[in-house]
Amino acid sequence: MTVWSRKNGASRDRLPPLEGEEGPFALLITERAVRRLYAVNAAARALGLFPGQKAADAAALVPELDTADADLEGDAAALTALSDWCVRFSPAVALDEADGLFLDITGVSHLWDGEAAMLADLLTRLAGNDIPARGVVADTPGAAWALARFGGESTVIAPGGQTPHLAPLPVTALRLDETAAAQLPRLGLTRIDRLLALPRGQLTRRFGPLVLRRLDQALGQAEEALTFRRPPSPWFDRLVFAEPISVLGDLVRAAGDIAARLCARLEAEGRGGRRFELTFHRLDGRAFPVSIGLSVAGRDARALTRLFAPRLETIDPGFGVEIVTLSAEGVEVLSAAQGRLDASRAAMAEEGLAALVDRLVNRLGEGQVWRAEVFESHVPERAVRSAPAIGAPASDGWDPDRPRPIRLFAHPEAIEVLARLPDDPPMVFTWRGRRRRVRRAEGPERIAEEWWRRPVDTVRTGHVRDYYRVEDEAGERFWIFRAGLYGHGDVRWWLHGVFA
Amino acid sequence: MPASRLARLAAVRGQIAALEAGTRTPSAVLPFGDPRVDDCLPGGGLPLGRWHEVTGAGMETETAAATAGFAALLARPLATRGAVVWILRRDDLYAPGLAGLGFPAQRLIQVRVRDDTAALMALEDALGSAGVAAVLAETEAVDLTAGRRLQLACERHGATGFIIGRRPFGGAGRKGTTGSAAATRWRVAAATSDPPAGEPGLGPPRWTATLERCRGGRPGQWTFEGRQEADHGPHPLSVAAGLAGDGLVEEERRIA
Repeated sequence: MTVWSRKNGASRDRLPPLEGEEGPFALLITERAVRRLYAVNAAARALGLFPGQKAADAAALVPELDTADADLEGDAAALTALSDWCVRFSPAVALDEADGLFLDITGVSHLWDGEAAMLADLLTRLAGNDIPARGVVADTPGAAWALARFGGESTVIAPGGQTPHLAPLPVTALRLDETAAAQLPRLGLTRIDRLLALPRGQLTRRFGPLVLRRLDQALGQAEEALTFRRPPSPWFDRLVFAEPISVLGDLVRAAGDIAARLCARLEAEGRGGRRFELTFHRLDGRAFPVSIGLSVAGRDARALTRLFAPRLETIDPGFGVEIVTLSAEGVEVLSAAQGRLDASRAAMAEEGLAALVDRLVNRLGEGQVWRAEVFESHVPERAVRSAPAIGAPASDGWDPDRPRPIRLFAHPEAIEVLARLPDDPPMVFTWRGRRRRVRRAEGPERIAEEWWRRPVDTVRTGHVRDYYRVEDEAGERFWIFRAGLYGHGDVRWWLHGVFA
Repeated sequence: MPASRLARLAAVRGQIAALEAGTRTPSAVLPFGDPRVDDCLPGGGLPLGRWHEVTGAGMETETAAATAGFAALLARPLATRGAVVWILRRDDLYAPGLAGLGFPAQRLIQVRVRDDTAALMALEDALGSAGVAAVLAETEAVDLTAGRRLQLACERHGATGFIIGRRPFGGAGRKGTTGSAAATRWRVAAATSDPPAGEPGLGPPRWTATLERCRGGRPGQWTFEGRQEADHGPHPLSVAAGLAGDGLVEEERRIA
């Protein structure tokens, strides 16, 4: 389905509706220092004005023409907002140039009892918001685009029946590039049926590959990929309320109901989703999305509701929520072993763990739950890398012959040191204001910086660290290091970690 | 002591244990494999499906290194039974160091929380989840109510909790003792290591651990040595040879 709203029909904040105006009215843009008409209303069109005309010519023809500047950025923003609003109809919405929207309604029209009812609902709502628009439901985006802009009527084209509808339209309805659009009418090929009558080989040779491709796309003989704002997913469901809801308890119940519906479908097809987005559509057209992620694909409606519930407090229902939509992403095949009855103990444990990780991640935030994994680096700060909390270790582990502290400070802390010989471990050191006498020491373990990771002229001997493990008289064990070499500039001592 | 008195004493002990357990089923235990420790603990080992408190003193309340190492070794035998979760307020737990204690650090699920409330919430959630064998959490204090909640969460799937007392960002510590709902409370301090004669450097880590409080058991004090190798006896903590025998701390002796 495509919806086309005449230029600048979308943003109506600042200006009176284009079509509702009494007298002739036009929006202007400046193009290469020439003021041109960008959009005109019905009254102006009746007087022979058209978009692209010079503003001076138009003013000469129609002295009473009322004009205003077009706000292209505002229009784009309004269209984006409109596309988000359209999610109530289908999760897959694509922007079409500056003034149209494509909605992929495959598999969702049954929610409205048919495509015609769905289209009528959409157009009524748009009209209610002062957005004059034309909508066409067709097999292909190309046909829908052409008929919405050039067909004159909002219609539903029966499956496979687009050819007779397209035939009388002008060739510009095929979304051609400028050269082809200018060249075809010059050769008398003004209408699409004339184009259809020609041998295909000649078309490509004379007008380039685009003409034939657009023709095929409109007729459904070639695929066309739309850039959806969200990947299209058939895993989508919606709940409409006769009376708008606004109490938190109702929102939670609505979330539970819709989750149960979508999950039942997922279960029937043996699938589970990894991400779920729940959107509350308010009466005033604003939408509030809430999304959760799962570490393991799932379809347990109760678990989903539990994850959503704490987030719903942030929803501002305003005058009420009339529609709730839920879509699943990352849908994958789920083994039937997830069923409760035949689940083994191990599978149950795994499931419980995944649910726990999901709860924690969704409550505490992404990146707050992780597993440490080995990273091949001898620099202590870089030897650990975060990995997803659910998963198996990728490698054997860290080198057991290199003792490492249980607490490693992000920033080593400076210590004052007394050492007998330059290369000896210290005898006494002061850390955080307390003097400690070293009873035993072990080392050094020399760790040089990873010089290949930085420009060669910045590499210094001062970046070499000699690590010692020391134990004080109380038995506390520390990991200290000397940065730099004696005789080569600055030498300082640091405490980097504490052993268990 | 005559045999008849011993038998009566055992019977009375059994009654007390039954009263203490209340409606709960008697929990499993994890023995240390050393009678000097196990005799002080109810049922002959560290009670599982309960939660335990490990605290330190002085600088240890802020760095929590010795306490973390000790708690990790208490929890290490549980890692084979399920997942282990570690809840942190400060991101300075160093996995290679944990691995050096023989702990399966790569399988450990680490959770970073912002405050004590979130830590307790995550702890309770983790303890009550299927598939979790042990949860370690670094928090400052657990009050009685929170302690009861933790206990109920532990009983759902038999997970064991370890609270590592820690003030995360310095400042004055809270006064007084906390949470009598804990099954055991250990006060842990680092002890000097004793490498084998003639070997330079540091020996395996050692801790002086005081069992300050133990439901249905007796307090005591021991010096433990951590063993890295998994095949070294039944428990990764062993009472260090020659230093044990402190047994009971007489002045603190009480039936808890």
